[in-house]
Amino acid sequence: MFLGALYLLPMIILAGWAFRGPNGGFTLAQAGRLLSEGAYHTAFLTTFRTAIITTLSCALIGYPFAYLMATTSSRARTLLMAGMMIPFWTSVLARSLAWIILLGKRGILNEWLVASGLVSAPLPLLFNSLGVQIGMVHILLPFMILPIWAVLMRLDQSLPSAARSLGASPMRAFAHVVLPLSLPGLLAGCVLVFMLAVGFYITPALLGGDRDITIASLIEMVVRDLLDWPFGAMLSLSLVTLVGGVFAVGALLIGAERVTNADGRT
Amino acid sequence: MHRKQLISRRKILRGGAASSLAALGPFFHTTKARADKGEIVVASWGGSRTSAMREVMFKPFEAATGIRVRDDGPPEAAKVKAQADSGNITWDVLDTDIPAILTMAKNNLLLPIDYAKLDKGKLDKIPKVLHHEYGLGHLIYGFNIVYNTKTFPTGQHPQTWADVWNGDKYKGGRSFPFRGGISPQLEVALIADGVPIDNVYPLDIERAWKAMDRLRPLVSKWYANHAEAIQLLSKGEVDVSCTVGPRGIVAKREGAPVDVEYAGGKLAPDNWALVRGGKNPDAVYQFLNFVIDGKVQAEFAKRVPYGPSSSDAFNHLTEIEAKDLITSPDNLKKQFWNDIAWWGAVGPDGKTNIEAQTERYAKWMVQRS
Repeated sequence: MFLGALYLLPMIILAGWAFRGPNGGFTLAQAGRLLSEGAYHTAFLTTFRTAIITTLSCALIGYPFAYLMATTSSRARTLLMAGMMIPFWTSVLARSLAWIILLGKRGILNEWLVASGLVSAPLPLLFNSLGVQIGMVHILLPFMILPIWAVLMRLDQSLPSAARSLGASPMRAFAHVVLPLSLPGLLAGCVLVFMLAVGFYITPALLGGDRDITIASLIEMVVRDLLDWPFGAMLSLSLVTLVGGVFAVGALLIGAERVTNADGRT
Repeated sequence: MHRKQLISRRKILRGGAASSLAALGPFFHTTKARADKGEIVVASWGGSRTSAMREVMFKPFEAATGIRVRDDGPPEAAKVKAQADSGNITWDVLDTDIPAILTMAKNNLLLPIDYAKLDKGKLDKIPKVLHHEYGLGHLIYGFNIVYNTKTFPTGQHPQTWADVWNGDKYKGGRSFPFRGGISPQLEVALIADGVPIDNVYPLDIERAWKAMDRLRPLVSKWYANHAEAIQLLSKGEVDVSCTVGPRGIVAKREGAPVDVEYAGGKLAPDNWALVRGGKNPDAVYQFLNFVIDGKVQAEFAKRVPYGPSSSDAFNHLTEIEAKDLITSPDNLKKQFWNDIAWWGAVGPDGKTNIEAQTERYAKWMVQRS
């Protein structure tokens, strides 16, 4: 109840800014601006495209990593955990700058590739969508790995063993027993990563090009540089509504039970 | 050798200033220093800038007049407003740029400068364009062609904005500012398109955006702040940038492969401004008369290579010291002054040019044809 008020109140104030005219009263002027300006639609599309690709990449890399962490010896697990958590504790800004040193035109990787003759000219790894993806996946990966790992650790190891003893191949035992049982963790990871990715703007600003300008970046410009708070509120409200819509549809498709209980405590 | 000394001195100054401030801060705020007539507070940006001010302005001023100078900051409009609203104004003099001054003047936070109280001889050495009603220009920066000297050895570098726009003759990645409250650099786009520098204003907006369209494919990074721009140039990630020239000179002196071409640069001032309600109005004018002196400005420029506003400063600098400064007589005549009146003018839609063009910049950036 208290939390509800804490989250709802700012949202109501935001809606107030978005729909109140300069002299009071209800207005759709800001909504009209949003609908008529193609540039903002493009930024919304970029934001969702980036967030979806990041989520899928995190899932593809994060699941095997979490599986390895859950099944390996405890010493190796400590190492894997440290490898994941140490970058996690470094600031987002510092990590983005580190990527410039690693992946730049004259960065370590490209210098090595060119010197070894593998490529003739430096590869464009930065200031494009690839750079943004590398940076964002690196930052968000722990949010995918941890929930999956939590579910896998609690998995009754006798279940896949039972499948094996009944004649299932390792692949089959994984696909029919382990994967379905770990799905809540995977879903929780996807929800977390997607939510965070939608609001990113430092990483796209530092590692991206002009095709990677996200809506968060434009909201910042509208609010801070143009001091156009009503329109900024309109943009923010639309973002929240769109994200909410995505989860509503997801909940309908998968079943609300699973989405809300996706923290692995099913 | 010389380079090393410069860096270490800088670090020591910065560290020293920070620790002494940290140690003295709590005591200063509770003393009755404000009550006796002998103190003024100057709000500036900290770091090497404030350290140099203390060395060449505050200390000699204290010695000459007996009036103590305390530094504080950063001189943000919001902080000045908070002081005025609470009725406890602690700052007397600000060191800030014209956009901030216009915002503060609009909110009635500043005193107009009484130019009759300033030394005419010193004032005449400072260009008229810098005698703003609410601010007197003292430190000049600008948007210039800053380039990596490994890609373009000096002499073979892009020497005009037209060269920067010429991707066939000058290969390499460009970097231009976007975000962070920076309006599009439409003036340099017009100069690249052939408009002479003394004919830039009023801007032909459509012509400028057409030139921006041609620039776009050459830009490999739209940077979000000036420190980032210098970083990218030093590392060779981009080869030529439109950014703050004096920052390029700072990097050059620290040994980075960076240099500055001043031709066609857009000049803008940081200013001395007076806070309305400051408690020591006479001391403030004594301070201004002290620091607008050419010799004081020259000493400052030796430490922090921004441009002195007084032409007299260059009588106190050697040719070598003056060569890299943005306002040296040679460099000054290649550049033009940012026309704040044009940018601040309100159009038929109720928006200032700066608001309208910043918004157009964002849309232009996101939407491609």
